[in-house]
Amino acid sequence: MWFFPVFTGSQYTIFHNTLQYSLNRLHQQQGQKGVGNMWHERTRKILASTLAIALALSMLGLGGCGPADEPDDEDEDVARTETVKIGVHTSLTGGLADYGFAAAEALKIAAEDFSGFEVDGVVYDIELVIRDDKGEPAEAPVVAQQLIDEGVVGVIGTLTSGAANAALPIYQGAGIPMISGSATAPDLTEQGYENFFRTCLRDDVQGEALGLWAAELGAERAVVMDDRGDYSVALGNEVEQTLEAEGVEVLRQSGQEGDVDFSAQVSSMMAFDPDVVIFTGYHREAGLLFKQLREAGSDAQFMGGDGIKSNEIAEGAGGAENVEGTYSTFGGFAQEGMPGYTEFAARFEQETGVEAGPYAENNYDALGALVEAITTAGSFDGADIIDALHEITYAGVQGTLSFDEKGDVSVPGGAGTDLIPRFQFSDGNWEFIG
Amino acid sequence: MSPEHIFGLTVSGLTVGMIYALIALGYTMVYGVLQLINFAHGEVFTIGGYIAASTLIWIGVDATTPLAVKVLYFTVAVLVSLVLTATLGWLIERVAYRPLRGQTRIIALLSAIGTSIFLQNMIVIIFGPQPIIMPTAIVPTGFVEIFGARIRILQIVIIVVSLLLMGLLTWIVKGTRIGKAMRATSQDREAAEMMGIETNLTISFTFVMGSALAAIGGFLVAMYYGSLQFNTGFLYGLKAFTAAVLGGIGNIPGAVVGALILGLAENWGVGLSLGVLAWLLVAGLGLGLYFQLVRAPRQRISHIADEFRTPAYERQVRNVYRFAPVLAVRTLLSERTDALVHVSAQHALRLMVGNIIIFGLAIVFFASGDMQFASKWQHVISFVVLMAILMFRPSGILGENIQEKV
Amino acid sequence: MAAITARISSFFGRVPRWVYIVAVLAFAIAFPMLEYFGLMQTLWLRVGTRALVYVLLAVGLNLVLGETGLLHLGYVAFFAVGAYTTAILSSPRFDIQWNFWVIIAIAMGLAMLFGFLIGVPTLRLRGDYLAIVTLAFGEITRMTLNNWEGLTNGPGGIPGIYPPQIFGWTVDSPAEFFYLLLVTVVIVVWLLNNLKNSRIGRAWNALREDEIAAHHAGVGPTRAKMLAVVMSSGIAGLAGAIFAYYQQFINPTYFLFMQSVIVVSMVVIGGMGSIPGAILGAVVLDTTPEIIRQTFTSWLPAAIGPDFLPGVQAAMQTEFDRYRMAIFGLVIVLMVVFRPEGLLPNKLWRREMHEEDPRELEKTGQHLFDFEEGTQDLEV
Repeated sequence: MWFFPVFTGSQYTIFHNTLQYSLNRLHQQQGQKGVGNMWHERTRKILASTLAIALALSMLGLGGCGPADEPDDEDEDVARTETVKIGVHTSLTGGLADYGFAAAEALKIAAEDFSGFEVDGVVYDIELVIRDDKGEPAEAPVVAQQLIDEGVVGVIGTLTSGAANAALPIYQGAGIPMISGSATAPDLTEQGYENFFRTCLRDDVQGEALGLWAAELGAERAVVMDDRGDYSVALGNEVEQTLEAEGVEVLRQSGQEGDVDFSAQVSSMMAFDPDVVIFTGYHREAGLLFKQLREAGSDAQFMGGDGIKSNEIAEGAGGAENVEGTYSTFGGFAQEGMPGYTEFAARFEQETGVEAGPYAENNYDALGALVEAITTAGSFDGADIIDALHEITYAGVQGTLSFDEKGDVSVPGGAGTDLIPRFQFSDGNWEFIG
Repeated sequence: MSPEHIFGLTVSGLTVGMIYALIALGYTMVYGVLQLINFAHGEVFTIGGYIAASTLIWIGVDATTPLAVKVLYFTVAVLVSLVLTATLGWLIERVAYRPLRGQTRIIALLSAIGTSIFLQNMIVIIFGPQPIIMPTAIVPTGFVEIFGARIRILQIVIIVVSLLLMGLLTWIVKGTRIGKAMRATSQDREAAEMMGIETNLTISFTFVMGSALAAIGGFLVAMYYGSLQFNTGFLYGLKAFTAAVLGGIGNIPGAVVGALILGLAENWGVGLSLGVLAWLLVAGLGLGLYFQLVRAPRQRISHIADEFRTPAYERQVRNVYRFAPVLAVRTLLSERTDALVHVSAQHALRLMVGNIIIFGLAIVFFASGDMQFASKWQHVISFVVLMAILMFRPSGILGENIQEKV
Repeated sequence: MAAITARISSFFGRVPRWVYIVAVLAFAIAFPMLEYFGLMQTLWLRVGTRALVYVLLAVGLNLVLGETGLLHLGYVAFFAVGAYTTAILSSPRFDIQWNFWVIIAIAMGLAMLFGFLIGVPTLRLRGDYLAIVTLAFGEITRMTLNNWEGLTNGPGGIPGIYPPQIFGWTVDSPAEFFYLLLVTVVIVVWLLNNLKNSRIGRAWNALREDEIAAHHAGVGPTRAKMLAVVMSSGIAGLAGAIFAYYQQFINPTYFLFMQSVIVVSMVVIGGMGSIPGAILGAVVLDTTPEIIRQTFTSWLPAAIGPDFLPGVQAAMQTEFDRYRMAIFGLVIVLMVVFRPEGLLPNKLWRREMHEEDPRELEKTGQHLFDFEEGTQDLEV
């Protein structure tokens, strides 16, 4: 197998001859300075760089053209175990790198567990192809294409909803199923893409649950604040609608992701005098906001979505006492109610040395469901796998999962907002309260 | 709209404004001396805060440390941050700007932008993308109640420290030899050199001083909000530059005034309800109309030399201001017009556009009634202020203080 | 060493210009065929297509930054205007699908209108103020797109953009988009090259060199600058409209300030005022990170085995992006300090950048004016 630029003999000869030719010409014309030189200043640079680019790009082209390791090429009677490639389209850099790390590590564990499944009498091992889209939608199509070029039969990802939106058309065009463990934007499953599935709950379900919870607490005046990111705004809108439907007076505020100064918003909130403050962004800004609110003398109940459910919230808040008692919901199922979570979390910690991050179990189950669908379909064809995904019920870490016709996950014996778990921050940790 | 709400907004506006001012001074001094927007200044500010915070983290302060020791640590952190940041400022000038003296402004500005991006990403590489957290033990947490609003001691500290530093700076520029050298260099570098002034040294000193102020600004911000992010300085830098332009670039009191106005505008803008803002806009519209219909034509007419001053000419100028959209466009399009009328038409068109925008905003705000100005537009406020000031009065409120050399 | 490079460059100098143009065009036309015949991964076709979008942007920005000497830091805003025009007028968002040509016309027209509106008050300003105003404009545009949820769906973006239909031909594969963009690039470059050598092109260059002298020589500065700004805005709008079709999804994070900076670096690295330079800058800056990434994630592991230097590989996967932007910044500074005329310089710029003291030249026996190239001086 060869993959990187190799100069063949003929290529080298051509290059060599050109050089010789040029040197000969130069010898003849040496010393002749005059009209003949008038081009060279500009043009030699153009030629030089053009050649360089052409050479570089053609090398790339050649680099990609090595014959892929097709399982069929191998000796049929010897090979009992073959390898199947499954893509992991995640974000290992950028603002959500922590989530991407958790997803990638959970999938590595899952790949070990699910390797060795059987299709048509042949045993397959899973090879994960992990690629990073930096959390930028502009990168997502290129990463998607890269995975398709690698010959993956299915993709676990993407991490973010923006990247999912950008990558979906490409996976759809290639007929490759895509299961995300953390893309929660509601519109992803509303556009009629057949190849998209997810093992997490949608933002609108979580937003409604968060709003209902605040109303349950007896709030009459509530502040809903977002950070202008796509996840945060979608969640915030849903919370605001729910609260208004419940007859709660709502003040909507916004910060900007990466801001440290929320003094103007805090002043407005203090004047509004809310019973609850719901921040739908991430824990960094949440910590700063809640700290500034406490310093301004607010005694409101703080709440948030899964973005704030990180123990690091205490650091940003300048001490756990500023965020003591904060409530949060989560966009997955309750880990405490999951049949296999304790075991999974223990394994994750054992393998990686860190606690299982958010959405780790969703990604684990995504790979499990994909493998289940492949075995059910008995084929690696994308269309067959997609059909099978709609049919299977898969018993995973989170419980017994199935996908509805849109690709959203559903569990037997529960629906809608009842599925959303609740947490409270106490003594530096998020604790499950129901 | 309670009075304590307005008072609280004012104090937080002043606090933010003072921090903007500390950064804006660096911009304005460098611009005064070199006619260069030191784009990397915002990053210098961030790095100042990062160094101070990481020094304190490294020393390790906690709640049990006695007050005297805390003060000692605090001083050490400030000194370390000052020295390192000032060195960085000096280095930036030496490496990225000095080789480009005599080149066009675009070239120097490109270098400044490159430096800014480089530094911003170096912060990420060195300290990581997560924000740095200031040890809370060092931050004074007390507060006082004034007019029913809670004012943190730290806010008062920030305002007082900033005022002291500005006083010190004014004394340096106005009352010392090096300040005199700075002023001479900003007026005419070559002439200053001929008079025996070490202009390179003076320019380096300007950078060092600007960076030192930025470092203190970074430290204060890190204390006030409890944390800093790698890109905090970018937005703060941009806003501080806006403040410098607002007050008149090159003008030291101008930078302070501009920064305070901007800080207040941002806080009031977000905090006050649209109804109140609409009335403010109506007042602004009145002022704008006064400028367009009374003051500007009167000024233009005063430029007419006596021998040409005829009632018809005066009417022509006045009409350009009065029927601005139609006449001004027609005047601008015709090639052969009197220069004064031409200039008046340009001016009138700008005033007119401004008044129309204010009018439109006022209508929109009135229609929205008692709703609050959505805080999602908070950062847009300063950008709009910047564009507006550059469109209608590029020399700023207090006037520029730089020497344009041709 | 110097003698060898001089010889090589002298050889390249003798090749007529059309040879390069034909060579580049031939390569560009053949590029998607490599993929078609299985000689290249589709990935590189996608990278090439994205690079062509950047070529359009760089060539357009070059008109303002290179030819006219105005630093424009909000260029991506016009790109955004074009992209959102497509996204709104041809997507399920409002369930409409307008004709491709109408959308292109509206995108370019809107971008040009914004260019005009931003130009009217600001072109009178000093060059560095212009930079800040355009930066502010770019940020205002992005925040408006992010906040105006009724029209743009805010930060969620607009998914599912319909593919364009050009005379009944549905453009929906990467190769088709590559050719569509290639044709656009060729037309735009051809127009710009003609403009560059026309009366207005010289007026722009004159303004860049010395505005006051140009004004006195009869060049109306505001009008000439306005033309450059409006035209380059139109090109960005065009690029944005096609990009949105290609991407099928648009949200405000595509239009961050850093994108403007990247386009500026492309022009600076390629050579301000030089169209081949802008093209080279765009292609090199857009493809290099991908090549490096691919080297470390696919090629090297495949060559030496997946366990080759796991630390380096992990670092390249997770750290590379941080270094990428730092390197961009550093490269801008280094280029501006050491080689302000860029990789493929425009002749006039280089001369201006390396203006030397005549007394120094006399000592070394050189002349201030290169008389052998006398005809070139007039050509410009």
